[in-house]
Amino acid sequence: MRWEEKIPGGKLVCVEVTADGETVAKVRISGDFFLHPEEKIDEIERSVEGLPLSSGEAEIKARIEAVLEKAELVGVSAGDLARMFRKAVDG
Amino acid sequence: MNWRVLPYSENDAYTNMAIDEAICESVAAGGPPTIRFYGWKPGAVSLGYFQCIEHEVDLAACEGAGIDIVRRRTGGGAVYHDQDGEITYSVIASETAFPKGILESYREICGWIIDSLALLGMNAEFKPINDIIVGGKKISGNAQTRRNGVLLQHGTILHSVDVEKMFSLLKVPDEKIRDKMIASVKERVTCVRHHGEFIKHETYEALVTGFTKGKEHAAGQLTENEFLRANALAQERYRKKEWNWMR
Repeated sequence: MRWEEKIPGGKLVCVEVTADGETVAKVRISGDFFLHPEEKIDEIERSVEGLPLSSGEAEIKARIEAVLEKAELVGVSAGDLARMFRKAVDG
Repeated sequence: MNWRVLPYSENDAYTNMAIDEAICESVAAGGPPTIRFYGWKPGAVSLGYFQCIEHEVDLAACEGAGIDIVRRRTGGGAVYHDQDGEITYSVIASETAFPKGILESYREICGWIIDSLALLGMNAEFKPINDIIVGGKKISGNAQTRRNGVLLQHGTILHSVDVEKMFSLLKVPDEKIRDKMIASVKERVTCVRHHGEFIKHETYEALVTGFTKGKEHAAGQLTENEFLRANALAQERYRKKEWNWMR
């Protein structure tokens, strides 16, 4: 399940979600955005993995924002990623 | 602050990225703040840290054309670095030498490029987050990372541009609109040569002047330690499939 979007401001971001039954097995976020430090992307992806596939946008956003307390995302926001997660899952 | 300026040199893609990282390590250990100019031999595609290699690059076309592919340590987009068509720079210094805000620090270093282009008669502007435009068209893309108290910003300045070649190596989102997309990129990208009959060396000299204006600086070279460390990083990281195919 995949959703790609041009974020206002110009960054092209893609969220891919792999499900295991009703659970998020794997999330992969790619694109031309910035994140400092870069390795935190793994933590952002892991923060969503294991959640029910039906998790709402607010829950996903909160999980990502918790990681962003110690990282800075530039060109895309936690809210964008949460919305894109739902789009990827819901089609 | 006394800047070390490393004059233009050409290297393969893996070595270029490894040299930037080796300098970051030496700056973290107290080495001099450094401005470096370089080119890519052979030509190469560099990918942003978060980009998916298979989404962005036509792997077979790159292999056929002898174009290297390397993942950067910085975010941002995929760039085709033509051996003759562009000049790349890196600025590596303590984070404390720049504004704390990411956008403000881009603006400051991009200001050096804007000053350089002004020497060639161009009226360039910073376009957040990380671009420089002339007449509304992109002429320079830039990317930054910060680690261990060190800021690295690298970027390219287009001297001449061949959009067809660029998109023979980079993937287009939708093959059905390839021609339309190339036409649209041509409308949105410019280069120094579109603004005057400059040779690449003149572009380079303007960059050196613009980057060093008002700064204490001296031409330098890589230390032996940096050179050895860069060779090791090229082997251990930048040439490795695990790194380049990370996403």
